[in-house]
Amino acid sequence: MTSQEPDRLRELEQRLEEVQRRQAARAKGPPPNQLGIAGRFATELVAALIVGGGLGWGVDWLFGWFGFHTRPVFLIVFFVLGAGAGIRNVMHAATELNARMASKDLEK
Amino acid sequence: MAMTLTPMEQFEVKPLMEHPLFHIAGHPIYFTNQSLLMVIVVIVASLFLSLAVKPGRLVPTRGQSMAETSYEFVANMIHSATGEDGLKFFPFVFSLFIFVLFSNFFGMVPGSFTVTSQIAVTFSLACLVILLVVVVGFMKHGIGFLKLFVPHAPWYLLILLVPIEVISFFTRPISLSVRLFANMLAGHTMLAVFAGFVVALGSAGGIFTGLAIAPMLLIVAIMLLELLVAFLQAYVFAILTCIYLNEALHLHDHH
Repeated sequence: MTSQEPDRLRELEQRLEEVQRRQAARAKGPPPNQLGIAGRFATELVAALIVGGGLGWGVDWLFGWFGFHTRPVFLIVFFVLGAGAGIRNVMHAATELNARMASKDLEK
Repeated sequence: MAMTLTPMEQFEVKPLMEHPLFHIAGHPIYFTNQSLLMVIVVIVASLFLSLAVKPGRLVPTRGQSMAETSYEFVANMIHSATGEDGLKFFPFVFSLFIFVLFSNFFGMVPGSFTVTSQIAVTFSLACLVILLVVVVGFMKHGIGFLKLFVPHAPWYLLILLVPIEVISFFTRPISLSVRLFANMLAGHTMLAVFAGFVVALGSAGGIFTGLAIAPMLLIVAIMLLELLVAFLQAYVFAILTCIYLNEALHLHDHH
């Protein structure tokens, strides 16, 4: 009877560990579906273009306010930079999604 | 009879009273259907969460179990995304999560109004998040927070990369808010369009009346999908808040 106790305790411990592991996996959240991924990439790209263009427009406006007529130089420059930022965003999102999916595959 | 389908009508913000509550810089401020829903969401969420944990039993009641599960869910999320020191932002992230979640779910009640389908609401929330990230970053690292915008690269590339990183940082409030807003808008528009099909087919007469069952069944399926999306988007909003906070707290060292 007493010799069985540690075994049962160990078994309980194993079961607890398994439950904790499963809960940790669940805390990482449900897996993203294809539509979600597509939407995510699209918004990242478009948002970067909007912000880049907006910033360029703002800089042009600021310079114009001080009497320098730079329009549309900064708009163009920042729009291109915004495109770069968009691609960077999408790459970050893709690496993040890859990591999440890899951890999902490991659990199986 | 000419049927007019107005799937976008549900997103109209209408004042509920004839007279504005007060004026801000000459603009009349009305109490709208949106304000009403937001008030309902806040009151119901607060009442539910505070009343549910009231019994404080060791073996929880159903309500207490729901409140405790949501608490643990958010706490785990913050812990896994930001580590131990992110937990002091628990009240902020939890309120945000619960507000978005309850708004999404209240939007699913037929005839009600989806607060999160308004870009004004989601963008305000996203701006709040980014503002917090900036304030926390500067408080923790001082001017060193700006290192967030400087990736590891040779100096001649930094001329190009730093503006890109800055722009990329400013896209966050937009992508954060647009994702939530677009999901809710698209889902509810889709529901309204298919509901319109049911009415149109049903009133067409003859064999078409029977066919109305097809979009009806589809609505049930979309409704279930929307319930999932309602939760998922609240979750995404909260986890992204955590990820951004993590960057402000730990800069680059978690990559």
